[in-house]
Amino acid sequence: MAIQSSYLDKKGLTVKDLVTIGIFTALFFVFELIGSLPFAPNPALTFYQPFGIALLCGPVFLLMVAKVPKRGTIAILGIINGIVWFALGMHWGMDLGYIIMGIAAEIVAGIKGYKNIKWNIAAYALFCLGPAGVFVAYFFDPLVWAKTMLEKGTAQEYIDTMTANAPTGMLPAILLGTIVIAVISGLVGKKLLKKQFERAGITETRS
Amino acid sequence: MSRERRRLRMPVDTGRTGFWIDPRTKMVILLLCVLSAAMAPSLHYEVLLVLLITCFGIACRKVRYSIIGALAYAAVYFLTIAALKTHGSVQVMLAAFLGLVHKVYPCGILSGILISTTKVGEFLSAMNRSHVSQKIVIPVAVMMRYIPTVREDWHFIKDAMKMRDISPSLKSFLTHPGMTVECIYVPLMMAASKTADELTVASVTRGIENPKPRTSNVQIGFGVWDVVVTACFLALFLAGQL
Amino acid sequence: MIELRQITFSYKGNQTGREGSQEGPEQGKGGLQNVNLTIQDGECILLCGRSGCGKTTITRLVNGLIPRFYAGDLSGQVFINGQDIADYPMYEIAEHIGSVFQNPRTQFFNVDSDSEIAFGMENEACPPEEMKKRVDITAKDLDIEHLRGRSLHELSGGEKQKIAFASVYAMNPDIYLLDEPSSNLDMEAIGDLKRHLALVKKQGKTILIAEHRLYYLMDLADRIVYMEQGQITGIYTPKQFREIPEARREEMGLRATSLNTVHPKTAIPVPSVPLLELKDVALRYRKHTVLDGINLTAGAGEIIGIIGHNGAGKTTLSRALCGLHKNSDGQFIWNGHPQSNKGRLKRSYMVMQDVNYELFAESVRAECTFGIRKAPPGFVDSTMEKLGLTPYRDKHPNTLSGGQKQRVAVAVSMICGKELLVFDEPTSGLDFDSMRQVAELIRELSAAGKIIFIVTHDYEFICRTCSRILHVDYGRQCEDFPVSSITENQIRQLFSM
Repeated sequence: MAIQSSYLDKKGLTVKDLVTIGIFTALFFVFELIGSLPFAPNPALTFYQPFGIALLCGPVFLLMVAKVPKRGTIAILGIINGIVWFALGMHWGMDLGYIIMGIAAEIVAGIKGYKNIKWNIAAYALFCLGPAGVFVAYFFDPLVWAKTMLEKGTAQEYIDTMTANAPTGMLPAILLGTIVIAVISGLVGKKLLKKQFERAGITETRS
Repeated sequence: MSRERRRLRMPVDTGRTGFWIDPRTKMVILLLCVLSAAMAPSLHYEVLLVLLITCFGIACRKVRYSIIGALAYAAVYFLTIAALKTHGSVQVMLAAFLGLVHKVYPCGILSGILISTTKVGEFLSAMNRSHVSQKIVIPVAVMMRYIPTVREDWHFIKDAMKMRDISPSLKSFLTHPGMTVECIYVPLMMAASKTADELTVASVTRGIENPKPRTSNVQIGFGVWDVVVTACFLALFLAGQL
Repeated sequence: MIELRQITFSYKGNQTGREGSQEGPEQGKGGLQNVNLTIQDGECILLCGRSGCGKTTITRLVNGLIPRFYAGDLSGQVFINGQDIADYPMYEIAEHIGSVFQNPRTQFFNVDSDSEIAFGMENEACPPEEMKKRVDITAKDLDIEHLRGRSLHELSGGEKQKIAFASVYAMNPDIYLLDEPSSNLDMEAIGDLKRHLALVKKQGKTILIAEHRLYYLMDLADRIVYMEQGQITGIYTPKQFREIPEARREEMGLRATSLNTVHPKTAIPVPSVPLLELKDVALRYRKHTVLDGINLTAGAGEIIGIIGHNGAGKTTLSRALCGLHKNSDGQFIWNGHPQSNKGRLKRSYMVMQDVNYELFAESVRAECTFGIRKAPPGFVDSTMEKLGLTPYRDKHPNTLSGGQKQRVAVAVSMICGKELLVFDEPTSGLDFDSMRQVAELIRELSAAGKIIFIVTHDYEFICRTCSRILHVDYGRQCEDFPVSSITENQIRQLFSM
């Protein structure tokens, strides 16, 4: 019968799915805020902010995908994050990063139909690179970045210092570090999913 | 009965008399602000931008907030001047950090003004009017509604942890990671899944899937102020690009 | 007219949210067997029976949630005004049938009350001017003008429930469906709900209500449908229903039909040795005093009911008793020694209204030892046995019913060796059997020498369990007296009966 449980088996995103996505996006966002708190306002740590986000959000991400294993879930998470961080006045690199990496993560998780936990973790790791968009913008051209602050004349000195102390290794370190931490967080999430949420009947048990 | 209740009741801006701008305009000026800050040619230009935002904030009747914001910016400004006098890797680190601050700070205070003067209903109505897909509008609406609930949930969970002699702190996170992780995530996510089901039921039984174009209880619309404010921010943005 | 024809339904396998949020998804519960029921326009039908008897399932069939939202095997048809509702999408059914659910915290979609009242109309694409009028009329009819323009998060449960009703009322449906709407309400809010139902009944609307608390519906219901294990086993008029003798009614698993017949049980003799003493305790929230002038002594085995209005500070008091609320003056003395927050925290345990917040582990057995450093396995097993949890030892706590979850929390408190227990609204959403079991459990705990505080709005439950009543209101301790037949009138007054 066509009418049987149209919320449960339907292919596209149903209202139930959208509400679920909204609720988990809220949780995701709260954990992002908590994860960013120790990093963002600190000059020495600010560039490691993606670490904080990657560390805390894994279980939320995985449970959300397990509850709504359909096309669009992760992309919507990315787009909403982009909108919200934009509305909060964050750097455009971060906003754009979320949207782009949200779509990238969507594609990766989609390859295995959103049902393979390893691929979902990989998607999560990609997603976490989104907030690093700010720093990509920085390392792309650190001079332009700091140009506003430099009075005329000091530019040459700054360029010299920059070349002497250029933190060339930092960008890969941030990106790689984020991926490693995201995978750890994802593995914790995987364990929680198996140990708790499948047994609790929150998600379907997979053999 | 309700000393407590009266205290909790917050004044709500019901009318939109005088200076009121449409949420869509707010998004536009925020975008202009992000662009201006990203492409700011000099520190002095940024000072102008912050001044404009402060004036805008005062016009929105967020006087205290705007002035504190401006004063804090002044502090950052002088810090920047001082930081540029340093040398070596300290300068690189500070320049990178302060560069981020300068790009984000004006947008941050503007966003604070915008968010505190926008009701969630207005924002959603604006999204609907701008023909944003329901696939975005519904989750955003639910998210806005659920964030305060996460806080309430967390207070209950913290109490429950304390009664089990597990302290909800960083220390216990480091000494008993597994247990602390379960304490935090399990009840929060259980509550989230349960709420998702019940909220869906409550919204489909009130016809959320109706394909008719949704109307809104909150009326929004453009007025003179929208033009004036947009013009100001646009002018400043263009001035920076000359 | 609503017509259920030969309905047989069973929920699909392992699905959550089966019968109300308080009950777990146990196999085979809540289904229906060959149910036929015809409801005339303008009738008010009360569905009652034990948890899992299928009363909620009937409401879900009528508003179309079954089979669209809750999957299962369904045969038979549901007709509304002669139309098979299987042919209509949810949003069209929603224009004719309004539903109010059990949990006030999870059924609002907006952040402010006005938007919430208008929510259903917004979906129907009601023109803004008309919508505004309708919201005004709704607020006036239901007498909730003081709730307009407020943030929903700052409203009490009862106020949220009123907004939920208002949102449905604003859509002006022909049929009102209510699924255990009083579970989280105090007596005053139940009184308001009754008035609202009387209003829509007078407007000629059809009302279908599934409920455990029956007393407030006796003047409203035209027919009372009693269900057992998925079948309708009796249809009564209120008059016939009232005549059912108490013993038979309790056997049927039903709550009192009138609170006038509920009297306090004989009080437990109050022990002479005080164990806990509160001296001039004042509780503050930031700089604002929530509750002032609390002086009380309690001995082992006392069961003290804390009552008062919403916002009177009952929650703050119970948190302070457990050492969770720190901002306080005065002394908490245990066995002659003043207690710090930490000392109280060690000694006490709160069984929360939403007990899910205090369950963390993956099985009942693991829950009973979770975070407890010295838990002798023998003691853990004997405690579980005593509370009847042994059959569920390997189940996930989330799959248990509301009453069973409470037992798990109590087991934890016993294994921790807690001596003071606070129950926050332990009977919300429980049927008669579960209520009786909780009452028995609390009496057993009392016999074991624990001091017990119960925050509750439930008059029936107080009469069954409490030995003493502590009334807090207007920011201070108002009364403190033993429960007995002598003080019955005093208790009734507190519940404005």
